Amino acid sequence: MIRDLSWIDPVYLVFALRWTIGLTVLALLGGAPLGLLVAAIGNTKRPAMRWLAQGYVGIVQGVPLLAWLFLFFFGFPIMGVEVPAWLAASIALSVYASGFLGEIWRGAIKSIPRTQWEASGSIGMSYAEQLRHVIIPQAVRIATPPTVGFVVQLIKNTSLASVIGFVELTREGQMTAAATLAQLPVYLMVGTLYFILCYPITVYSRTLERRLRGVR
Amino acid sequence: MAFVELRSITKKFGDHVVLRDIDLAVEKGEVIAIIGRSGSGKSTLLRCVNGLEGVDAGDVVVDGVRVNDAKADLRALRARIGFVFQGYNLFPHLTVERNITLGPLIVKHVGREEASRLARDALRRVGLADKAHAYADQLSGGQQQRVAIARSLAMSPMLMLFDEITSALDPELVGEVLRVLEAMARDGMTMLLVTHEMNFARRVASRVLFMHDGRIWEQGPATDIFGAPRTDELQNFLGAVLN
Amino acid sequence: MAYTFNFRDVFAAKDALLDGLALTLQLTATTIVFGFIIGLGVAATAVYGPRWARRAAHAYVEVIRNTPLIVQLFIVFFGLPSIGIKLDVITVATIGLAINLAAYAAEIIRAGIESIPRSQVEAGVSLGFTRAQIFRHVVLIPALRNVYPSLMSQFILLMLATSVASQIAAPELFYAGSIIQSRTYRDFEVYTVIAIAYLVLTVCLRLLFGAVHRLAFRR
Repeated sequence: MIRDLSWIDPVYLVFALRWTIGLTVLALLGGAPLGLLVAAIGNTKRPAMRWLAQGYVGIVQGVPLLAWLFLFFFGFPIMGVEVPAWLAASIALSVYASGFLGEIWRGAIKSIPRTQWEASGSIGMSYAEQLRHVIIPQAVRIATPPTVGFVVQLIKNTSLASVIGFVELTREGQMTAAATLAQLPVYLMVGTLYFILCYPITVYSRTLERRLRGVR
Repeated sequence: MAFVELRSITKKFGDHVVLRDIDLAVEKGEVIAIIGRSGSGKSTLLRCVNGLEGVDAGDVVVDGVRVNDAKADLRALRARIGFVFQGYNLFPHLTVERNITLGPLIVKHVGREEASRLARDALRRVGLADKAHAYADQLSGGQQQRVAIARSLAMSPMLMLFDEITSALDPELVGEVLRVLEAMARDGMTMLLVTHEMNFARRVASRVLFMHDGRIWEQGPATDIFGAPRTDELQNFLGAVLN
Repeated sequence: MAYTFNFRDVFAAKDALLDGLALTLQLTATTIVFGFIIGLGVAATAVYGPRWARRAAHAYVEVIRNTPLIVQLFIVFFGLPSIGIKLDVITVATIGLAINLAAYAAEIIRAGIESIPRSQVEAGVSLGFTRAQIFRHVVLIPALRNVYPSLMSQFILLMLATSVASQIAAPELFYAGSIIQSRTYRDFEVYTVIAIAYLVLTVCLRLLFGAVHRLAFRR
């Protein structure tokens, strides 16, 4: 049954934003530790480890996010585990995030001058200790602007979770559009909501970048 | 009217006054060396002549054309003024020959044959005929600077401006560039050079300007400026520089 | 519950997959061409245009870069008919993807243009070049050379993003996969094959762009 678009629909769309934000947060919570691991492994002296990290990044980045979503969505039932859409989406997005964050952070760590490694190594620190106390604190400043920029990507990417049925903003929009047949106004509203959420973060990331360049 | 005239030029960068009430007249065929400390306004003065810098007061007139006039056809004028930079500024993605033929082709609309001929002649004049197909990063600093000079020469300019063109060069490469300049001076080119090469200025310049604090502090023939400085500032400058 | 992987059903449908792959390649190629040209125009406008045009260019780039592709495709898909333009789904997908890519390309190219030192521009000015001549002969090639790696990465991202066009029923590779999945119920196998296909495409594109780089910017 087709109904008319009413004033309550934008409200539902806005409320759906919390699922978008929630999914983004989950993806970051899952993807950040994994990405950190990738970045750490990617900077060791052993070429085999570096290849492993680069291979992981290459595979994650070389497959569309939609494919990752579907692989996890259909993969879990195969192993006998019934997984709700939101969890499959979170895991898929975490893996996706870990690939990109891992690359950003690996690059940031790599840009720290070798002299820092030499100085901390010569007082007997292990690789992990060097990372933790000397390298990462410096790398964080360099890594922050592109990481914040990637958060925007992640927010936009949650829109694809709609395809496996997770009800975030885009899915809410699809359901509203199907119910009212007022697709264009609905999707314009959906786009606007994403913009309102993403644009301030984009601006912030640029401010961070400018500050970083100024200081250096 | 002189070939190049600067009348009561004043120029500010923000609150800082870089040129104060400059008057200068340059006749055709003169070779003018401009010397002075950094910050004295020498480069700015030069850049005002072809309009790379605007002026806040006064007039810059080259061959009857008011450069600081907003409506002036600066393009046509600039095609007749050669400007050579301290950093050469060759176009890195083009061969030496293309660097030189580009101007005649797209600004003066000469044919391809004519442009190649102009390029070859210019390269010969600067002694780099065999480097036509090299790229800038394959050349030494001195060679790049000579190519930059050739690039300007190919436009058949009536006036050449040189902005400290040897300051960025290793000492052993300076000579080859100065020899080219000397030859141009002998051929009667009107030249304004901002330079630190005092021996060159003494030998080749018909007039030397000493700039200090945004003004032309002293000017005259090279023998007077170098042999009989009248002001303390020039004496101090020469003392510091010629040691 | 034991699961037997059965790739045979997937490979039996390889014609459908190849058709989808062909469309993916076509979408990628046409989108790159149009997206690059439009992006170049937007970048030039953002740097050299009058103030109103520069604002418009920035606004366009910001809107596209801060909204998801799938939403943009829906807007184009439903928006064009509503102003009376009826196009086939492949053209609609190309338009949506090109508008998206152009915004990212514009940002990259703009950074390239602004990275050209002012001294290069001054050399052109001193020779009497017009602004257009300076852009064409002094700025453009070095700018593109500087940002070529970024552009290449963006094009590869675009190729992967063509999968989103499946959501407006463009019959590219991913859509072909979902059709096979709905018929054979071999969900996991299908998407594994699809994923590997995209991975191979990524590697091939990277090699292709590397070769183009060597040919175009060879010195």
